[in-house]
This record gives sequence, C-alpha cells and structure tokens, in this order.
Amino acid sequence: MNNHVRQLREQRGWSQGDLAEHLDVSRQTVNAIETSKYDPSLPLAFRIAKLFRQPIESIFVPGKD
Amino acid sequence: MHDRRIMIAMTIYVIVLVCVWPLARAAVEPVPKIGYALTPVLPLLYVIWVMGQKILHSDELEQRTHLIGIGVAAAAISVISIVSGFLAAANAMTLDATAAVLMWIFPLMMFVYGAARSYAARRYGGGACDEDERLPLYLRLLWAAALFALAAAYLYFHSGRGDAAETVLGMAVAIACGSAIFAVRRWRRQRPPRE
Repeated sequence: MNNHVRQLREQRGWSQGDLAEHLDVSRQTVNAIETSKYDPSLPLAFRIAKLFRQPIESIFVPGKD
Repeated sequence: MHDRRIMIAMTIYVIVLVCVWPLARAAVEPVPKIGYALTPVLPLLYVIWVMGQKILHSDELEQRTHLIGIGVAAAAISVISIVSGFLAAANAMTLDATAAVLMWIFPLMMFVYGAARSYAARRYGGGACDEDERLPLYLRLLWAAALFALAAAYLYFHSGRGDAAETVLGMAVAIACGSAIFAVRRWRRQRPPRE
C-alpha cells in the first residue's frame, strides 16, 4: 500500500519525531509507514486521517498486487 | 527506562550466579541449599516482568518486532532444549552438562530475541533500535562484556575455577567484539556523506 503521509507531514513542516509524538508512536513506526514498509492498523490509519483532516482513502492508496 | 532496568537486573543476575549460586553446592541443609540455588531466579523474574511492561507500552510496529523476536527465540530455544533432552536421555550428556545447558537457556533466549528483533526492526527500516536510545547498543554490549570479564576474574582469582573463568572470559571477548562491530557501524552511519 502506498501513502501520502510524508507529503502531508512535510506540508506542515513537521519532523518524523513531531508526527510520532502526535500519533503516540515511535519515530521508527512513522518512518516505516512513510516508506511503505509497514501498513498501519486501521485505528492508527484513522488517527493519521484525523490528524491531517483528510479521509483515509485520500492518504492511503492501494498498491499493485 | 526499561532497558536500564533490564541491564541492572541482568547485572545482579550475573553477580548472583557467580557469587551466590556456587554456595548451593557447598550447602548441606536443604533450606539454604534451595535458597542459594534459586536466588538467580529472582532477577530473571524481574526481567520478564520489565520486558512485559516494555512490550505493553510499545506501539503496534514495535509489538510486531517483539513478537518476531520472541517467536524466533522460542523456536531456537525449543530446538536446543529438545536436542539436549534427547542427548541427556541417551546418556550422551552428563547431568552437569544438561544442567549447564538449562542454566544458559534464558540468557541465550534473550540474546536470540534481541538479535531477531533487531533484524526485524531493520527490515521495517528501523535503525537497529540504537539510534533513538539514550544508551547506544554498543555501550550496552560493552557494559555486558565488562561484567563478564569481572565475573571471569572473580572465578579465576577468588573461586579458583579456571575452566569456568575461561568460558566466561571467552564470552566477554565475544561480546566485546560485538560491541566493536556495532560501534563501527554507528560511526559509519553518523559520518557525514562524502561530497
């Protein structure tokens, strides 16, 4: 799955650590999500969507299967 | 915080194992014998509790890497245990050797767990769990190596157990080598890129 988390974070001028603090996760988790090495759980995806005030489907995009 | 607690508890464990546990063999009365023999279990129980707390307070990706680490460690320890069990049952291993294997099960499990978790974290793009830690991994390993070296010195000079001292000293050297590898890797990562 691909996502636009990095772009959204950079638009706000946040570091990975800042976003991690907002989401109450580690910086490694933010990095893994941004590089699409890890797909977040549904609750975390909702937290991300709520933080950026966007629907989930506009942040997370299905990748090629 | 959790890592510091685990390090302190493991330090106490090694000290107890070297200084207190040998008294169990010399004790005649059953109560002190059992007491000395089981004293090393206390710091280990504390370590298990702290690790449970650490996993409980981790986020979902960290919990996944913990799960991978614990799974690999459980598999490795199961194999070692069953091999030791079969060898002991066939009298191919002495009782002392079997007891030695059983005593090293937990430290070995911690080692395999740490290595497997570190590998899993790296697969998810993590920095081997050491960049964000207050105490880098190489320093933690160096601390463990120093501890093992002290234990070896105690065994050699105080207890007169040269064979055991050699084994523990060998472990200290191996851990120190691991520390050096992690220190070099950390230095290379932190080095500014060439123009």
